[in-house]
Amino acid sequence: MIARALGAIAVVALLAAPVVIPRYHVTLLLPAFAYSIGLLGLNLLFGTTGLLSFGHALFVALGAYTAAALTTHFHILHLETLLIGAALVAGVVAVPVGLLCVRYVKIYFGMLTLAFGMLFYSFLYKFYTLTGGDEGIRVLRPRLLGQAFAGLDKVEFLIGPFYYYALAVLAMATLLMHRIVRSPFGLGLRAIRENPDKAAYVGVAVRRYRFYAFVIAAVFGAVGGALLAVPTGLADPLLAYWTHSGNLVFMLLLGGFDHFLGPLVGALVFILLQDTVMSLTTYWRFVFGAILAVIVIFFPRGLLGLLAWRREPTA
Amino acid sequence: MLGGAFHAAVLFLVSAGLQLVFGVQKILNLACGSFYALGAYLGVSAVTWALGAGLPAPLFVVVLIAAGLALAVIGPVVERILRTIYDRDESFQLLLTFALVLMFEDVIRFVWGTAPHQLGTVYLVYGQLRIAGSTVPVYNLVVIAAGALIALGMGWLLTRTRFGRIVRATAENREMSEALGVDMHSVYARVFTLGVALGTVGGALVIPATAATSEMGIELIVEAFAVVVIGGLGSMRGAFVGALIVGLLKAGAIAIWPEVEMLAVYVVVVAVLVLRPTGLFARAAA
Amino acid sequence: MTLLEAVDVRKFYGTFCALDGVSLTIAAGQFVSIIGPNGAGKTTLVNVLTGLLAPTSGRVRFKGDEVAGIGPVRLARLGMARSFQLVNVFPGLTVGETLAVPVLARRRRGGRLLASLARDRETWSDVAEIAALFGLGDRLERPARTLPQGDKKLLDVASAFALRPEVVLMDEPTSGVSTADKHAIMQTLVQAAARMGVQAIIQVEHDMDIVFGYSDRIVALHQGRVLADATPDAVRADERLIDTVLGRSYLAR
Repeated sequence: MIARALGAIAVVALLAAPVVIPRYHVTLLLPAFAYSIGLLGLNLLFGTTGLLSFGHALFVALGAYTAAALTTHFHILHLETLLIGAALVAGVVAVPVGLLCVRYVKIYFGMLTLAFGMLFYSFLYKFYTLTGGDEGIRVLRPRLLGQAFAGLDKVEFLIGPFYYYALAVLAMATLLMHRIVRSPFGLGLRAIRENPDKAAYVGVAVRRYRFYAFVIAAVFGAVGGALLAVPTGLADPLLAYWTHSGNLVFMLLLGGFDHFLGPLVGALVFILLQDTVMSLTTYWRFVFGAILAVIVIFFPRGLLGLLAWRREPTA
Repeated sequence: MLGGAFHAAVLFLVSAGLQLVFGVQKILNLACGSFYALGAYLGVSAVTWALGAGLPAPLFVVVLIAAGLALAVIGPVVERILRTIYDRDESFQLLLTFALVLMFEDVIRFVWGTAPHQLGTVYLVYGQLRIAGSTVPVYNLVVIAAGALIALGMGWLLTRTRFGRIVRATAENREMSEALGVDMHSVYARVFTLGVALGTVGGALVIPATAATSEMGIELIVEAFAVVVIGGLGSMRGAFVGALIVGLLKAGAIAIWPEVEMLAVYVVVVAVLVLRPTGLFARAAA
Repeated sequence: MTLLEAVDVRKFYGTFCALDGVSLTIAAGQFVSIIGPNGAGKTTLVNVLTGLLAPTSGRVRFKGDEVAGIGPVRLARLGMARSFQLVNVFPGLTVGETLAVPVLARRRRGGRLLASLARDRETWSDVAEIAALFGLGDRLERPARTLPQGDKKLLDVASAFALRPEVVLMDEPTSGVSTADKHAIMQTLVQAAARMGVQAIIQVEHDMDIVFGYSDRIVALHQGRVLADATPDAVRADERLIDTVLGRSYLAR
């Protein structure tokens, strides 16, 4: 019951934010929304299926670059098309990468995903005629549901229509992921996490399910990446760098990987924390490293784990 | 080609450290790149100070190596931190080392700032040689030789000394070693410190040829990781061969098709992981 | 009707011969125990029969189809299930969820991405039914890791049965369980099998009380070969067989 009440308060707060809190902080919420979507995907892999990917940033970057290329090179400005395009491209790329990666587990899976992420980064960085090199590709302001909102300046656009659009996409992504996790497929994934050998013996097609989870995670990652690139207006290679993947995992751990809403909490807290710490000291990486170390050693279940909210039961 | 061998020698040192730690403690230490960077920065500072204090130029190598070795003191400290999660899932161990990477990055930034540090041309005091039409600093050859020497040294250490035998036994079967009375904590601390030293010395030695930059640690870890994948997790021989392959591959790529440089390395990494996930010199399954 | 048959199965590990021409036929209605000293090839035989290992030569057929080396998932689909000697559970899943996985697999609903599991009444009533048969009906919400050892064993076997297989292969179903509980477990197993339409049970077992108490056929393996394939009475009467397989100490009892 407390959970429901808190949830309702959170929803109301998010809806009211652009009106109530200062503009700057509202713009901070935008990457938090985008990362939340990407992290929902990552958590399907890690929290639900037990596969830790150190290359999820590949798909986030892929989504950003797809959106960028569509707006800059093909002059497609409808955000719906951009999101669908990002999802499709990620899905297509995730098929061969996923088929390869899910043949391995644990550290080999982590290493292989890291390698693919860096492969993509090198490609983005070096093939600058195609990808803009270290300058990246710009993302032009998209149209939301056909509307250009030309009368609004950049900030007004971002904290107004775009904010609610992103929030709506987040809500839909969350509901979709919730459905998936609570489905028979989701139970199969959890069985794989708990005991992959036994899962095979009771009829779960382990590799195939892992593959599906990988592709779904990639799609969520890319949609998040596309939404991430709109406020910044840029897709750049660092989005694919392995430390970015590391940050994604950090966010997940911060929020709590074994609770469904962990990704959202993690993304939000990370972004706000990063902003606060960065304004206090240039040595924010040290602080963050220390925080991560503390979490890993003392609070591996993250913030939501601290609040002792159990993994949600199915029945 | 020789440039590739030089790079390979340094890479070998760092990778050997990685392999040692992984083989014994089963931890993939992402912070090895940070140790490398620390070695580089301290190397620059130490040599600059020493030369300013009147050290004869040819002895700068000694100062470099000493700086690298001196940093090994952080080994036991870091090991103590990692000790808290030895029994946890590997993902958490990886994340803890990632946390260390972040922290060390800013430690370096704090002590040395963000501008690159260089040693200038003091390494040319050894002169240069003309080999196969290109000019190679003798220093580079010294480092290559040092790399090979250390490789032999490591081999001797692991096969001929008591410590080496304990290390290999522990890597093979931890429980057995413990049951036979081996002090795990002491072994782990020493192995880790050795691993750190290899990384810091490697970083120090590379300094004359490049500058110490704030990204060097993070960039290196990816190469070191490529080396251990190609060579096989936990294998010293793998570190040696892997480093050679990566070093030469990079040199070759730069000469032939520069854009492909790191890309070529990653393609090989992916290929190895797919075709022979345990690497070229597979040890018992990780 | 012949359900499972092995025809002249040989398995070599390098030069070591684990199975040397084993032939076996299991028909519906049989409870077969496989006995033999350690190293006789029991585990290898079980692995071959359950499609985990492909034999070096020879055939394995399940309901007429070749199943050599097809792997556990496909075998489960075909109607054979297996449980293991060491308790194998999903530690973090509840009893109900553990049973739901095989039920969904059998109903071919396991792959549904968007359907709500909680509202799948048929699956959950199946789960309740199976749990009740194994005495776990009152503990559907408990995580598997919190169960006592004997119940974990039952859950493990129950999850194999939940596939409603025609043939169940159990590897030492009562190992690790106290003597008092052994018979309770076996009774539960036999009753559940009858209620759920299992047509043949094969077990690997060392406890001869259990073997003689429940089997209608005993297959004795020794050094990779079938030494005897007979009724319990015939085996009990064959002193030389008992000596080879079980040792003199058993005869002295």
